[in-house]
Amino acid sequence: MQQAVDIPLKISQSAALLEVVHSAIGLVKSPVAITAMQVASRIWCLWGIVVPCAATVIPQGLLTAGQQAALGLPGWANINFITLMTAWACSEVIRYGFFALKEAFGTPPYFATWLRYTAFMVLYPLGVSSELTMAWRALPDIKARGLFSSTLPNSWNWGFDYHLVCVLVMATYIPGLPQLYGYMLTQRKKVLGGGAAKPKAKAA
Amino acid sequence: MTLISLDLQSRNGKTLAKLDVDSEDTVGQLKKKFHAVNKKYYPARQRMTLPAKEGQKSGEVLKDSAKLSEYGLSSGSVVLFKDLGTQIDYSTVFFFEYFGPLVIYPLFFFLPQIFYPGQKALPLDQRPLVQKIAVAYWMFHYAKRIFETYFVHTFGHATMPIKNLFKNCSYYYGFAAFVAYFVNHPAYTAPDETLSLVCFALAMVCQFSNFRCHTILSNLRAPGETAYKIPSGFLFNYITCANYTAEIWGWILFTIGTHTIAAGLFTAAGAFQMAEWARGKHKRLQKLFDGKDGRQKYPKRWVMFPPLL
Repeated sequence: MQQAVDIPLKISQSAALLEVVHSAIGLVKSPVAITAMQVASRIWCLWGIVVPCAATVIPQGLLTAGQQAALGLPGWANINFITLMTAWACSEVIRYGFFALKEAFGTPPYFATWLRYTAFMVLYPLGVSSELTMAWRALPDIKARGLFSSTLPNSWNWGFDYHLVCVLVMATYIPGLPQLYGYMLTQRKKVLGGGAAKPKAKAA
Repeated sequence: MTLISLDLQSRNGKTLAKLDVDSEDTVGQLKKKFHAVNKKYYPARQRMTLPAKEGQKSGEVLKDSAKLSEYGLSSGSVVLFKDLGTQIDYSTVFFFEYFGPLVIYPLFFFLPQIFYPGQKALPLDQRPLVQKIAVAYWMFHYAKRIFETYFVHTFGHATMPIKNLFKNCSYYYGFAAFVAYFVNHPAYTAPDETLSLVCFALAMVCQFSNFRCHTILSNLRAPGETAYKIPSGFLFNYITCANYTAEIWGWILFTIGTHTIAAGLFTAAGAFQMAEWARGKHKRLQKLFDGKDGRQKYPKRWVMFPPLL
């Protein structure tokens, strides 16, 4: 599975950087900070965790339960990559599907709008928990290999501890998720309206 | 003297007060009257605007010095009120912004045992000369900034929201610790001493140039004046925000002199922010001094950083 999605995943997620650019130059109305936060978390998870630590975070070829047990891998190791792909793929298909329908028909069908502003309730927590689990599982490998890290002394007097950075990035998810979630709930209320429809007043 | 009754509303349309004022009163006096009614909202905390006209996103902001009659306000007119939140003096904000780095940086220099546990730090007299010059330069820079805050700068606005204090302080304090950590590290590799001395000597020239620019800006307006003026003299004859030019070059030289990426990142962050402000100021001056209707024409100048900007 990982081999099957490898190239499309790298291209599609890296291209998402353009979303931040589009937001920054005013091509789309979405706020730059929120867009950047969403895109940055995925870029980091893909290029900072999944790609360099693939051997650790994705059991090769998505092994059978027996093979996993033999290698001492936890039972949920396969599930983690699947949930990550599910969350990312579904959210993008729904979002871009909504945009495509909007472009094609001017007003997208209600179902597409409803899905666009409702699916995140499940997909956001699923995506975030998958990203965090991936990162958490990669931490020992990052520390052991000194991945992307440098230590002093060196001529430019620069030290960088990627393991620590990953821990700090994971910590930012704590205030970050409620902020994003709250923003999406506000958007949902704006677009779909909150609560049940008001009953019509009876004619006298 | 014409007495009018104004309906002061919040942005969601709720009436906060109905105030009887003279149409020749200033907006500042209106704010004082509202403060008398509602003690929480002192004048600096208030922003008053006219309701948005057709096609406008927001209404015109009322200037403190302007008379109410200038805005065509009459009895029953609605004025919208916005609470700007708890305010704090600009000079106080700047003091705390600059006092932090002034204290934080030398702590790393004088107390390495706290910040670099398990690392063998050299005694002060055996430290590289660059580290000693860097700490002196850093402290001089922030002491100069505090001095300018109280004795040179004149502020267009008296106050700013208190939340800015936390945002600005975290930027300055964070970068002070970040830069100090690497420059004062026991494993620091000192660059060529001659190069460092030349860089710091030139950086000091930048410091004095920056001070000269600030005194020019400070003397630009007569006391009580608020109108924009075209700065001139010294580097201002060629660059709109010459004070930023000197500031950025000072930090570039600090980066080369200390040979640290951390200082380079601090320089880049500062330059990026200053470029935003400089572009804004340059555009404002060009728009204001357009050479039409007897107004001065703004001369052709670099924005901030020749030849790039």
